[in-house]
Amino acid sequence: MIHDYLSLSILLFCLGILGVISRRNVFTVFMSVELMLNAANLAFIALARLHENMDGHVLAMLVMAVAAAEAALALAVVILLHKHTGKVDTNVFSLLKG
Amino acid sequence: MAQNVSYLGMIPLLPLIGAAVVGILHLATCKKKRLPDQLYAVLACSTPILTFVLAVKVFFDLNGLPVDGRALTHEVFTWFEVGEMNISMGFLADPLSSLMLLFVTFTASLIHIYSIGYMAGDESFAKFFAYLNLFLGSMLILVLGNGPVVMFVGWEGVGLCSYLLISYYSEDRSNVLAGNKAFIVNRIGDFGFVLGMAFLFWAIGDSGFDYISLKTNAHMLAPATVTLVCLLLFVGATGKSAQIPLYVWLPDAMAGPTPVSALIHAATMVTAGVYMVARFSFLYVHVPTVGLIVAWTGILTALVSAIYGMFQNDIKKVLAYSTVSQLGYMFAGVGLAAYSAGIFHVFTHAFFKALLFLGAGSVIYALHHEQNIWKMGGLKTKLPLTYKTMLIGSLALAGCPPFSGFFSKDEILYSALASGHTGIWVVGVLVAGMTAYYTFRMIFVVFHGSPRDAHAYEHAHEPPAVMTVPLVILAIGALFAGFLNLPSLFGGSQQVTHWLAPSLAEHAHEASHSIEIIAIAASVAAFAIGIFIAYRKFGKGAEEPVYSGFSSFAYHTFRINELYDVLFVRPYKAIGSAIGNLIDAHVTDGPVQLIVWFYRQFGSTFKLLQVGYVRVYAIYMIIGLSVMSYLLTQSFK
Amino acid sequence: MLSQWLFYAFATVSVLGALGLILSRHPMNGALWFVVTLVSLAGLYSLLSASLLFALQLIVYAGAIMSLIIFIIMFLNIQPADIPDEKGKWAYLLGGCLAVIPIGLLLLKIVSSLPEGDVDIVGNGFGQVKSVGLVLFRDWLLPFEIVSILLLVALVGAVVLAGKKEMTQ
Repeated sequence: MIHDYLSLSILLFCLGILGVISRRNVFTVFMSVELMLNAANLAFIALARLHENMDGHVLAMLVMAVAAAEAALALAVVILLHKHTGKVDTNVFSLLKG
Repeated sequence: MAQNVSYLGMIPLLPLIGAAVVGILHLATCKKKRLPDQLYAVLACSTPILTFVLAVKVFFDLNGLPVDGRALTHEVFTWFEVGEMNISMGFLADPLSSLMLLFVTFTASLIHIYSIGYMAGDESFAKFFAYLNLFLGSMLILVLGNGPVVMFVGWEGVGLCSYLLISYYSEDRSNVLAGNKAFIVNRIGDFGFVLGMAFLFWAIGDSGFDYISLKTNAHMLAPATVTLVCLLLFVGATGKSAQIPLYVWLPDAMAGPTPVSALIHAATMVTAGVYMVARFSFLYVHVPTVGLIVAWTGILTALVSAIYGMFQNDIKKVLAYSTVSQLGYMFAGVGLAAYSAGIFHVFTHAFFKALLFLGAGSVIYALHHEQNIWKMGGLKTKLPLTYKTMLIGSLALAGCPPFSGFFSKDEILYSALASGHTGIWVVGVLVAGMTAYYTFRMIFVVFHGSPRDAHAYEHAHEPPAVMTVPLVILAIGALFAGFLNLPSLFGGSQQVTHWLAPSLAEHAHEASHSIEIIAIAASVAAFAIGIFIAYRKFGKGAEEPVYSGFSSFAYHTFRINELYDVLFVRPYKAIGSAIGNLIDAHVTDGPVQLIVWFYRQFGSTFKLLQVGYVRVYAIYMIIGLSVMSYLLTQSFK
Repeated sequence: MLSQWLFYAFATVSVLGALGLILSRHPMNGALWFVVTLVSLAGLYSLLSASLLFALQLIVYAGAIMSLIIFIIMFLNIQPADIPDEKGKWAYLLGGCLAVIPIGLLLLKIVSSLPEGDVDIVGNGFGQVKSVGLVLFRDWLLPFEIVSILLLVALVGAVVLAGKKEMTQ
């Protein structure tokens, strides 16, 4: 049964990758990254259940905290970029300079 | 055998030190406050005089030795040692080099002193003297070197100084071109010299490469090698001593200051080729065929340049062609194995030609750098001392008995007749007549008749004593130097020939006194006819002739320069630009360009990957990860 | 049996939500689809006896983070013209699938080498606030503190970045 959970985690992770590499919308890309984090969280918790050890839970909590920090920063950057160009297209930000 | 004396190394070193001191002082001060010219003059003139004193000492030391052992040597240091080649920076003074040493230092001292007056007020007075001292040092290395390699150092050194001094007035582009020409033509000759040295080394160099060892081992050489070496060395001599076909640089070399023309291009450097042939007399004496080539080259050069000399307008050009002509005589002498006669002519020529050049310098100085003889005239009254000394020099050059040129030239002509080379003798006598003609043409036009340029005539004045005293001293030399080698016919004992004998592989031509009298009579007759024609044409004043036909052709030196330009210079330039434009651009640069092209293509291929889109980089990362995963899956059985 | 059925239900819903996220054109639609995924993931956590994480997933993720994202999307007032015109989206998705499949296969292979276990609800406080809190404050105190600093830095950074009037050129 645990294998099913882990397989689901892998599936969601792969969908996250797909979202990151095939979409150009900043928000979609960003949420795809969040999706990958959640897939990892699912794997942590499934494995914690398998070993009946709560370290996995703690790790999942830390991942959530990191995700929250990331969200705050990433969204600030998105606001800035939107102010700058009026676009939410990743391809607009192709010049590697200010 | 050879005696080792330590002061020998000092002789070339002194002028070199002088050159360094004067040069460094000049460089250090020329941008700021100039040091007084007198200081430089004293510094620069002291070294030739000191070397002259040493040269006299060398002479007396040699004289005190037995005839067979007359050689002083000094090995300063081992220069380089490569395999079998062991070259030491060593010096050798034997009768031949001591004679050269004496007159080189003597004329150099006088010309240094003369230059103080001639160059007075020149902007780079000190530079001139530094070059002059450098030249003297190089010339002394050439003369005193104990082997061909050391000689070559001096050989190149004098070539360099010649170049520097010809281009001395470098503001004028034509002077620089003349310097370049001298240098490049000399390089062609030097190439022959180097090849000759290389063959000589290849043949017998492994058992010592100095004159003494070479002389001992000369018998081991195959006849073909001797011929080859002698021919190649002679190519070097034609370059340095301005013989056919490489004489073209010497007339152009007159662009330099007149003392330079006197010292380098008349008295000393240009005779280096003759000295070299005499030095290698132990080789040349075995190949009479090469000797004949040398003699004919010499006498033809004498003829051709005498023809040129008859139609020149520039006083220095006249003297330059006269120098080429006299050098031709010297080669005729050494080519006919009359080495002492050739060297003796070098010796006397140094006096009277230096005198003539310095005299011409006085005239030029008096007339404010006017060199065209057709703008002079009647200067006899204005420049009496210069006139007298130049007259002595001209008589010596023309071969009037008993002036020095008569004896030395006559000895060469006599050798030609005595050894049965009548053709050379006939040409030689003809040239003697022409020499008398063009010399006195110059004298008559410059000093006799009425002044052609009244303004310049009015301002002409005798130069200061510092210039006239050397003239007088040289005039005395030109008068009496001939008596040093008085032939037995006149009751002399040929002291110079006997003095030189240990150095030279000479065999005297035995002939009756009647032949000698014929030779002398012919020379004197040629001189008389030459001077008579000159007097008839120019003695009472003449206007500048209009050259046409042959004379125009001769005035333009048979268009040899143009011929060389078409034959050598332009093809060479064409080849150069062809190589530059085709081979260099396409063949040599090809691989380089290919590599550049390859990297450029490589770069632009990879540029396609560097699009700048963040997403694309993520794709690369995922592709990499994916490939890695695939490979890991395969190995995960 | 019920837990198995629930698992399949939640799994299907979460995969659907993820698909909706990566396929929807407007980010707002995507965000709402993502909320669906997050909520179903919370259900899965509860099936795995992680009651604290279940609550945190709902409160922090589906609650705080997602509402922040949605707030920003609405705040920027994105017009249809601002949304990138993704012409090759389907080609990229297809290519992306090809690139991702080996990764998924490798991970699946690793998973299949793990021991299998059942997921019955565990008693004695597993996954509850007290026991997780004990582990957190005993064994993970230092990482916890570091994360707190990270959050502080992110907070300051976000304020600084978003507070800029204009980007310096």
